[in-house]
Amino acid sequence: MFDESTIAESEKLAESWTAAYAAMVEKFGDQAPARATQPTTHSGLPIKSAYFPHDVAHLDLDKTGAPGQYPFTRGNLPAQYQLMHWANQPVIGYGLPEDTRSRMDALAEQGMIGYFGQKFYNLVYDLVSHEGLDPDHPAARGRMGQCGMGVYSKQDMDTLFEGMDLEQMNVVHITYYQVVPALAQYIALAEDRGLTADQLRGNSMNWYHQSAYVGMSAFPPGQGHKLAVELVNYCAKNMPRWNTTNFFGYGAEEAGGTAVEEIGLMLAYGIDLVRACIESGLTADQALMRFGFQIAQANDFFEEVCKVRALRRIWATTMKEMFGATDPRSMHVRIHTHTAGALLTAQQPLVNLIRTSLHAFGAALSGVQAMEVSAYDEALTIPTEEAATLALRVQQVIQEETNITSVSDPLAGSYYVESLTDQIANAALELVDEIEAQGGYIAAQESGWIRRRIEASAERWRELVDSGERVVVGTNKYVTDEPPPANLFKVDPEAEQIAIERIQELRANRDNPSWEQAMAGFEDAAKDFATKTYPDLDGSLIEAAIKAASADATTGEMMGVLKTALGWRAPHEF
Amino acid sequence: MNSDAEPIRILLAKPTHDCHDRGVRLVARKMREAGFEVVFSNFLLTEEVVNAVLDEDVDVVGISASSGGHLGIFEELLAGLKEAGRDDTLVIGGGVIPPDDEATILGWGVSAIFGPGTNAGQAIEMIRSNLEGAS
Repeated sequence: MFDESTIAESEKLAESWTAAYAAMVEKFGDQAPARATQPTTHSGLPIKSAYFPHDVAHLDLDKTGAPGQYPFTRGNLPAQYQLMHWANQPVIGYGLPEDTRSRMDALAEQGMIGYFGQKFYNLVYDLVSHEGLDPDHPAARGRMGQCGMGVYSKQDMDTLFEGMDLEQMNVVHITYYQVVPALAQYIALAEDRGLTADQLRGNSMNWYHQSAYVGMSAFPPGQGHKLAVELVNYCAKNMPRWNTTNFFGYGAEEAGGTAVEEIGLMLAYGIDLVRACIESGLTADQALMRFGFQIAQANDFFEEVCKVRALRRIWATTMKEMFGATDPRSMHVRIHTHTAGALLTAQQPLVNLIRTSLHAFGAALSGVQAMEVSAYDEALTIPTEEAATLALRVQQVIQEETNITSVSDPLAGSYYVESLTDQIANAALELVDEIEAQGGYIAAQESGWIRRRIEASAERWRELVDSGERVVVGTNKYVTDEPPPANLFKVDPEAEQIAIERIQELRANRDNPSWEQAMAGFEDAAKDFATKTYPDLDGSLIEAAIKAASADATTGEMMGVLKTALGWRAPHEF
Repeated sequence: MNSDAEPIRILLAKPTHDCHDRGVRLVARKMREAGFEVVFSNFLLTEEVVNAVLDEDVDVVGISASSGGHLGIFEELLAGLKEAGRDDTLVIGGGVIPPDDEATILGWGVSAIFGPGTNAGQAIEMIRSNLEGAS
């Protein structure tokens, strides 16, 4: 990056700085804080106390390049936010479908906006559907509409999207393992309204890989992975505008993983997924073009920015070199940032607004495509409308008041940022090698290695917090006596009963002969699917699911079929 | 409690549909390190917890809930323990439980709720002093 004389001069400068710095630290003796004597990032990577040109001298322009140029370290596209702001993607979902709809409308009213002014909704399903149940199941008690929307059928979706043109909007369906029923119900609704699947825009999460580090009941990893490939395969052929897979790095960091682990795990999973998609008959480009990422933005400001830059680079180089991806869109890391929920505190909750603003600011500087900013009361309960609106305002202030949107990749060229980006990229690639040596991500998921690794990191974090070495303002430092928070959001207690009555009415009133026939077809497809290998995958499970959803099959019914056919088990042993 | 005493046995249980298990699994490890015999389980129905209390013959049961639904769980658990004649079991909870609900749950006879920001040491201490006090 620099000529020899510049490097020599830089080294000389560093030498004199080192002596001067050491003299300052010396004066503090044992009182010098660790960050002065042994600085590290929150991932534990050693860093320096100041950086110089020679620290980045080994980084050729081919590792950084221009925004929009391979290997995309500096961003996917030449223009970042100059022509289009990142999409506001607050996570929305609670109560009955109409409750969620009213929050969607309220936020849209407040300026929540997607790409090029399009409507964009990031919708999360409730705990009952995450478990693959219907609201009248005994285990659903108290969970209907909690942590998400109670949407269990095509009919519920119709209520949710009443009067909206599905072709003119983008909908992210945040499901856990009920990916197939949710997509099938959405397609079935679209078909009822005279549309076809290829006209729909949005996202399936396809989050089977998260069961490696998220502790909920799940399909066995191999069957889950096959379901992921089946969906990619179906959409590649039938839904060209649909984003098929969301790499859930956020969950890995929330579960306690470091920044390095977050991106390393996602790349390792990406390798396994693309490998399997190719086995199923797709080209690397067909599979890759519609992948996206959900990435956390946490407290170590520069590390989190550099993590995003590093992920873009190692994803692009790996997909090109390992799988021969050629289309730039196949090498792009499209990121939905989620500001770190696990770092929010129940104590002094308004302080969370400051944290989330910093997280969102970092994400913006790293050039992400969309953002969810956590609401300040999320460590307490489902956000109130006021808190959700303030979270949206955080995005709007950064977007429209700071002028950071005028320059692509504004931190590029900082000796520290470039050096740390490279360091994180290399550390993540080492992790990928370690996982590959075990036979890949799914093998490391099966063996519990991923879970153990993440839990070890979670434990380190907790020890640092307990010892006070890692400060959490309001929790382990600057603690105040405060009254219990007031005005917390509550899901209407009557909603549960309404949801139960609706689903029972649906079962009584639907065309049951059609439902029986469609469910029999779905059962056969699921049984067949259970024994398939990747080359056999052809989208037929999804097709059968759409027929069932069209005949008003509920989420619980469809998930029941899949659980029986594929297995369903409690998460990680302890 | 002296060193000859039987180790404290605790069941830590978490609903399967609640993904926020980072805290409870850490607490489980810390309790094990502190000499407790820890059983950890994920459950769908509260009756599974009641059965596990009986099968594992634990002194303490802890419910971790960070995604709602906690009121029903504690209500069912307390009723189930009573019916099984095991309402001597120390019941505690943790996770994201709003203050109003916490007050309700404590009113039902749950001994403590450890919310965000508390640590495993506090729970360990509370259990020890509680069981010692009882013996």
